[in-house]
Amino acid sequence: MLVDTHPALPEFEYIRPATLAEASYFLSLHPDTARPFLGGTDVFVRMRDGFMKPEYLVDVKNLDGTNELCFDPQSGLTVGAAVNMNRVIAAPDVQAHYPLLAEACRSVASYQLRTRATMVGNICNASPAGDSIGACLVFDGVLHIHGVNGPRQEPLSAFFRGPGKTTLKPGDIVTAIQLPVPPKGCAGKYLKLGRNRLSDLSIVAVTALGYKDPACSSGYRFRLALTSVAPVPLMPAEVEMYLANNPITPDALHEAARLAAGASSPIDDVRGGARYRRQMVRNLSVKALTEVWKNIS
Amino acid sequence: MVQTSTTSPSAPVGESKPRIDAREKVTGAAIYTDDLQFGNALLHARIKRSPHPHALIKKIDVSKAQALPGVKAVVTGEDFPGYIGLYLQDRFIFCRDRVRYVGDPVVGVAAISEEIAQKALDLIDVEYEVLAPVLDPELGASPAAPILHPDLGQYVVAGFIFPEAGTNISNHFKLRKGNVEEAWASCAAIVERSYRIPHIQHVPLEPHIAISKVDEKGEVTLWTSSQSPFAQRNLIAQSLGLSQSDLRVISPAVGGGFGGKAGVSMESLAVAIAMKTKGHPVKLRLTREEEFFTAFVRQGLVAHFKMGCDASGRLLAMENRFYWDGGAYTEYGVNIARAAGYSCTGPYEVPNVKGDSYCVYTNHPVGGPMRGFGMPEMHSGLEQCIDELARQIGMDAIEFRKLNCLKTNSTLATGGKIHPIGLDQCIQKVADAIEWGKKNPPSAPNKRRGKGMAAMWKAPAMPPNAGSSAWVELAEDGKVNVGVGGQDLGQGSFTISAQMAAATLGVPYESVRVAAPVDTRYSPYEWQTVASRLTWSMGNAVVNAAKDARRQVLELVAQAWEESVEDLNIVNGVVISYKSEKEIPLKNLVIYGLPKPDGSGWRGGPILGRGNFMPNDVTGLDAETGQGEHGVVHYTTGAQAIELEVDLDTGRIEIIKGIAAFDVGKAINPDMVKAQMEGGLVQGLSSALFEELKLKDGFVQNPSFVDYRIATSTDVPREMKSIIVEVPQEDGPWGARGIGEHSMVATLPAIANAIYDAIGIRFDGPPFTSEKVYLAMLDAGIVT
Amino acid sequence: MAFHQINVTINHEREQVVVPSNMTLMQMLREKLALTGTKNGCSAGECGACTVMLNGEPVNSCMVLAVECDQATILTVEGLADDRQLDPIQEAIIEAGGVQCGFCTPGILISSRAFLNRNPNPSDEEIREALVGNLCRCTGYTRIVEAVKKAAGRKLAAPVASD
Repeated sequence: MLVDTHPALPEFEYIRPATLAEASYFLSLHPDTARPFLGGTDVFVRMRDGFMKPEYLVDVKNLDGTNELCFDPQSGLTVGAAVNMNRVIAAPDVQAHYPLLAEACRSVASYQLRTRATMVGNICNASPAGDSIGACLVFDGVLHIHGVNGPRQEPLSAFFRGPGKTTLKPGDIVTAIQLPVPPKGCAGKYLKLGRNRLSDLSIVAVTALGYKDPACSSGYRFRLALTSVAPVPLMPAEVEMYLANNPITPDALHEAARLAAGASSPIDDVRGGARYRRQMVRNLSVKALTEVWKNIS
Repeated sequence: MVQTSTTSPSAPVGESKPRIDAREKVTGAAIYTDDLQFGNALLHARIKRSPHPHALIKKIDVSKAQALPGVKAVVTGEDFPGYIGLYLQDRFIFCRDRVRYVGDPVVGVAAISEEIAQKALDLIDVEYEVLAPVLDPELGASPAAPILHPDLGQYVVAGFIFPEAGTNISNHFKLRKGNVEEAWASCAAIVERSYRIPHIQHVPLEPHIAISKVDEKGEVTLWTSSQSPFAQRNLIAQSLGLSQSDLRVISPAVGGGFGGKAGVSMESLAVAIAMKTKGHPVKLRLTREEEFFTAFVRQGLVAHFKMGCDASGRLLAMENRFYWDGGAYTEYGVNIARAAGYSCTGPYEVPNVKGDSYCVYTNHPVGGPMRGFGMPEMHSGLEQCIDELARQIGMDAIEFRKLNCLKTNSTLATGGKIHPIGLDQCIQKVADAIEWGKKNPPSAPNKRRGKGMAAMWKAPAMPPNAGSSAWVELAEDGKVNVGVGGQDLGQGSFTISAQMAAATLGVPYESVRVAAPVDTRYSPYEWQTVASRLTWSMGNAVVNAAKDARRQVLELVAQAWEESVEDLNIVNGVVISYKSEKEIPLKNLVIYGLPKPDGSGWRGGPILGRGNFMPNDVTGLDAETGQGEHGVVHYTTGAQAIELEVDLDTGRIEIIKGIAAFDVGKAINPDMVKAQMEGGLVQGLSSALFEELKLKDGFVQNPSFVDYRIATSTDVPREMKSIIVEVPQEDGPWGARGIGEHSMVATLPAIANAIYDAIGIRFDGPPFTSEKVYLAMLDAGIVT
Repeated sequence: MAFHQINVTINHEREQVVVPSNMTLMQMLREKLALTGTKNGCSAGECGACTVMLNGEPVNSCMVLAVECDQATILTVEGLADDRQLDPIQEAIIEAGGVQCGFCTPGILISSRAFLNRNPNPSDEEIREALVGNLCRCTGYTRIVEAVKKAAGRKLAAPVASD
């Protein structure tokens, strides 16, 4: 196909509602022609490419609490939709309680892009390669959504339906992502393989979290999220089950990695081939799980 | 002749003076073409391009576009019947009867805004009859291929290019020396390999841009980010049937060229559109996406090498065949095929050579000059074969190269002898700097470490009469203005012009300016800023102009003081006499002259030095044998060595050390020479590890930074060393020759050789992505 | 398409600009205010040539709408020098030979100034990571990293206002 990227953004109306209710209402009135945006780093690119042609771009930054990042010992970390990734990385509460999240966000693009990029935007863009998604999944993230019927919450694990597709309905605005208090003594690792050493989209990425859990016969629970290797971010249950039920040894970690590779369904695309990706799921999973294991055992 | 007088010092030549244009660049004051302000009169253009790699144009309907409010002109090829091209006139400004690559320009629109021009494109209907495309150069060269340029036999072509009419071969360079067939029998080792080097792109940070205005007399002004204002003037004028003097080209600061802004690519589109906008200037700029496939690209290469040596490691024979994927138009690319042809042995002495270099038309983006002009593509495979041959014969790669490399007075494959060069020094120095032979332990158990190196050569590939000129004038304050026609693309040509003028005249560097922007109305002629030729060619012209100015000053003062010119000198901007110890600063006398002592008038006048330089002893090369006594002006040679690690878990290559040594004859500005070595090594590394225009069915699949990756700040070796070797070039200013391109030539094969050292694997082509490396290791059983 | 009047402080000067909805900050700077020091390398947030400081933090100005900048404070390369006294990073990059074609330079300088403001004593690796979003095709980056290192040791002649 002849790539027909335009020099500049096409025409659209910039709408800046004053309240969440106003925003949801406007979006529900224009389900096919209005789009909410935060940092804009995905939306603007797709608009120049001709991929998206919204008549209205609805700025949902600076609405009722979307600019806040806070940690509470009961409810955990709440990251407002408008909080940029650099703020997330630098937040003392994130560094103290969710260093895995900081590690994942830090791998995104560049510092100047992260000044605009947001976690919620990353999640709603629903690219199977989204860098912050794995961490949010292993931490059992919950989305706070404001819709035409008011606020609700949805687990992130049920959010993704396909590349670029989510369960959001017209009028929905995600106002925050909440990560519950992580299990005590947990350790995490985000391993991302791009073409350059830094700054690239991921060809394959693996997010691992582990912690002591007496409820598991192995004594430990591991959570593994895979991105860029399926139409949606994956959390292969077989990996979690295997590591919950088998003594943790280097061989077990290898077997878990093998299961992870088996669970993935990567494609050949311009960034990488399926065969390589499957190998990398295995290799990166071994590495990530091993490092996590080292830190929790 | 060496360009120094017996009394002038060489300073500031040889000193690492700061860039003359640094301040404006760091303050944001430097004006690039898109920064020019034109006010409301400015129109904006967009181009409707072919969506097919090969098709006939059946019908173009522009009526709806013309009717869109704000649209001021819509132009097609119908109004522009002239061919255009540098060495071969094989393209139209806008396509006329057919399109030959995805992106080929079909219609141009000028409107009061870029947005409206873009909208107008969607209102244009073009009917095509799709034709079968040629997507491979070897297939393209075969008799079965569809013919892309049926009129090839009628195209105007330079005398040293040999198209084969009735085929897709737009140039076939032949090198025949000795007898390869017989020589194989004497070879103790033979290596035969093929390589596919993919297309890459220059990726200047500033995309192509051109603004043009045609006045009421029909005289054209073109503002463009250009390496070649004079060549653009010449080619566009010829194509449009204008007189060269009626086309003025102005080039503001250039944000990177690397060859892509040489010759003519999109600039002619702006001029053509401007012819229909009733005197309004029209701006055309390429998006980054368009830059990747509608400007020049570096053509792909399919290369077949066969080489053999005797038992002592002496190269006996080479039989090399190159099929250049030249793309839809090869008006520039034909010379790349030629240059690779006469250079096909690499920098070695080989008594028996059979070389065939074919430039082939394909329905791919247009191949044009890119840093190295065929040398990186060719050395990519050749230097790997050299390594393999050395290994086969049981010789160390460094020793093999030192044995066979060209040395002063070695015989060239094209006949004739090479001038004094320091290639063997370069090879030894990189070997020493990288501690060749010492195996360093890998940094971790999952890494493998390796060292590799490669040597290179390149001559400026240009017509035998590519000329340079310069002028030097002074102002009442004694400061100097130097006029040049060559461009500073960032390599530092303005800075070294100032250094050379200062050294020749005898003034401080700080008091010399270079007249910029280059403007064909006021600047002196320069063939093109390509071929790494400016330091040498334009340098000679600048020195000649400065010498002329100096002579005028000294003759004036000598007359006034009744002394002899031989006793005078200019030091630090002051004319001094060694005899009488009189002094006079350069100030007003350079404008007003000096009064005669008897009150009878004045002598002298405004000092204006002029100089030119053109090679005048370049012979042709025989059409059947490629032999000629003096086929090129000179060669720059050098070598690079790389130490790297391969990650066994991912296949990723990390370059740890990059060492380079080049014989530049004389480093006019050593720091800038090293900066070229560093930048070239990184561009070479980038082409080795990341870069590829992914072509499928004629479409570039990755025309954006998202999926065409280049080296970032974290991808470069943490240890780089750049070594300057100076074996003077007899006819260069202070002995200098060029360096700009050469630093990119040997990097890829050095990396490939280091990968082989690390894991014992070679690839049939770059880029050496993590995926390629990992899967190769997997298939070889190195990892499981 | 609507036009919006915005109030914005750019390089310490207050400006009032009328911008259409779809104009980016980069376009506003270059086309409405003739601040052409900020460069357009890709319009896609990839190359960093358009980097400016927005409320003290570096952004790709091609990825910010002008209308979003109402009440914001912006610093471009033209605002780095204080009345002809160059910022240490500008001086250092000249000394280190880290400027060639100069097209990436404005973005590099802004990214570097912002980085040094938040990390006055950086390691080489930290510098490289901070500049990963600024592509350079000419220099190979090494001299740019040297320049940032050099500049880290020097004081600013005058405060570079961020908000």
